Amino acid sequence: MSSADKKVAVVSGGAGGIGAAVVSRLAQADFIPIILDKDEAAGREVLAELGRQEGRGLCIALDATKKSDVQRAFDRVLADYRRVDVLVNLAGGALYAKLIQDFALREWREIIDVNLKSTFLCCQAVFPIMKAQRQGAIINTASNYAVTGSASRTAYSAAKAGIIAFTKSLAAELAPYGVRANVIAPGRTATPRVMGNYDAAGWAAASSQIPMGRTAEPAEIAEGVAFLAGDESLYMTGQTLHVNGGMVMP
Amino acid sequence: MNRLDGRVAIITGAGQGIGKAIALGMAREGAAVVIAEINGGNAQEVQSELQESGQRALAVPTDVSREESVLAMVERCLKEFGRIDILVNNAGIYPVSPVEEMAEEEWNRVIGTNLIGTFLCSKAVVPRLLEQRWGRIINMTSGRAFQGAKDGAHYAASKAGIIGFTKALALELALCGVTVNAICPGVTDTAQPRGHRTEEELYGMAARIPLGRIGQVDDLVGPAIFLASDAAGFVTGQTVLVNGGAIMW
Repeated sequence: MSSADKKVAVVSGGAGGIGAAVVSRLAQADFIPIILDKDEAAGREVLAELGRQEGRGLCIALDATKKSDVQRAFDRVLADYRRVDVLVNLAGGALYAKLIQDFALREWREIIDVNLKSTFLCCQAVFPIMKAQRQGAIINTASNYAVTGSASRTAYSAAKAGIIAFTKSLAAELAPYGVRANVIAPGRTATPRVMGNYDAAGWAAASSQIPMGRTAEPAEIAEGVAFLAGDESLYMTGQTLHVNGGMVMP
Repeated sequence: MNRLDGRVAIITGAGQGIGKAIALGMAREGAAVVIAEINGGNAQEVQSELQESGQRALAVPTDVSREESVLAMVERCLKEFGRIDILVNNAGIYPVSPVEEMAEEEWNRVIGTNLIGTFLCSKAVVPRLLEQRWGRIINMTSGRAFQGAKDGAHYAASKAGIIGFTKALALELALCGVTVNAICPGVTDTAQPRGHRTEEELYGMAARIPLGRIGQVDDLVGPAIFLASDAAGFVTGQTVLVNGGAIMW
C-alpha cells in the first residue's frame, strides 16, 4: 500500500501528554498522523519517537484559537495528503484554578477559547473536507468536569460541557454525509502537566478517590479515541465515551 | 493476535438477533462462547455454526429468570471451558400492553427476564471474576430507558433499572479488575421489534435517525468487543449508546 492510499488522522494538541499517546495509537492503526500544536518542537519529537519517515507524518505549528492559523493548517494537510479521515481535538487545558471573583474576564475567555473555540475552528475547517469525502470521524475532548463541574474551574467546566453540546449539534449536521462526531471524556489522567499540579501525597489522595483506585494512563484514553475513530463505532454519533475508572457515570 | 484469545464469554439470549451477532463476533476474536438461550433449538444451531467454523462454543438452554437454571448454566460453562471472563447480559423480552391493562404476570415476566436475569447471571459469575481479578460484564439496555416506551412501561423500567444496576455493580467491583458497562442499541433490525411494528414503520424510523438508517445487529458487535477487551480496562459504569445518533447522551 503506498502512502497515498493511507488514511490521515489530524490530532490537534498532539504534542501533549494524551496527544502523544493518541498519535502513537493512531499510527499503530495505520493512520498517517498529523500533529497540530503550538509547540512545534514537542510535536516533532513525538513524530521522531514514532520513527516517522519523510512524508509519513507532519507537525504544523499553530495557534488553534486563530481561524487563519487553523485554515492554513488544514490547507496544508489537504495539499500534502488530499484527505482527512479522522480529526481528534485534544488542544486545551484548565489553565487557571481560581474562584469566580478572582477570574479576570481575559483569563476566563482564554480558557473558553483554547478549549471550545479551538474545537469549533478545527471542526469548521475539516467539515468541507469530510463532507466531500462522505466519510470521516471527529473526536472532541471533554472531561469529568463537563458533568460534575468543579469549584475554581468555572470556565473549564463550561467549555467542556460546551464541547459535548457542540459535538451533538455537529453530529446532527454531519450525519447526512456519513460523517460522525463523538466525544472522549477522560478522567484524571497521569500526564506530566496534570501531575505537576500535585505533590506525591496529593496525587495519591486524588487517585484513591477514583473507584478503580488509580488514574488513567494516556494509552487508555488513546484506546478510547481509536475505538471512536475506527469502523467498530460506525453506528455511533453524538455520543460521549467516558474513560474515568468509574469516577463519573452520567 | 485476536483481542479475546483465551477468554471464555457467556452471552445470554445468543440464539438469535443481537446476542447471536455478539457471540459470533467474540468467537471471531478468539473467545470460547457459551450460548445461554431459552430456545434450545436456536442455541444448538448457533453452536453448530460456530463449531463448523472451528470455534469453541457450547449451547446451554437457560432461563435467566430462574436461579437454578443460571447456576446450572455457569456450572456447565466451567466444566466445559474451565473459566469465565466475560458475561454479556443480552436476554430480554418486550411484550406490549398499556399500564392500565398490564397483567401482574406480564410485569413479573419482563422484570424477571430483563432485570432480575441480569442480576442472577452477574451474581453467578462474580465469584469467578473476583478470583482471577479480571472480568467484563456487559449489559444490554435500550433507548427506552431514556425516553420511556408507550405500552412498554415494564420494559422501560427494566432497561433503566439495568443502567442503575450497572453503575452500582461497577462501583462494587472497581478495585478488583472487573468492569461493568452497558450498551444501549437504538432500533435494531431483528425479529423482535417486528412483533409490534410493520416493516413500513420500522424503516420509516430511519428518517428520524441522524445516520439515516436503523441499526443492524453487527453494529453492536464492535462496541461489545471493545468493552470486553483489554483496551477498555479503565471504562466502567458507563453506557455506550450505539444508535445512529437517535439519542445523544
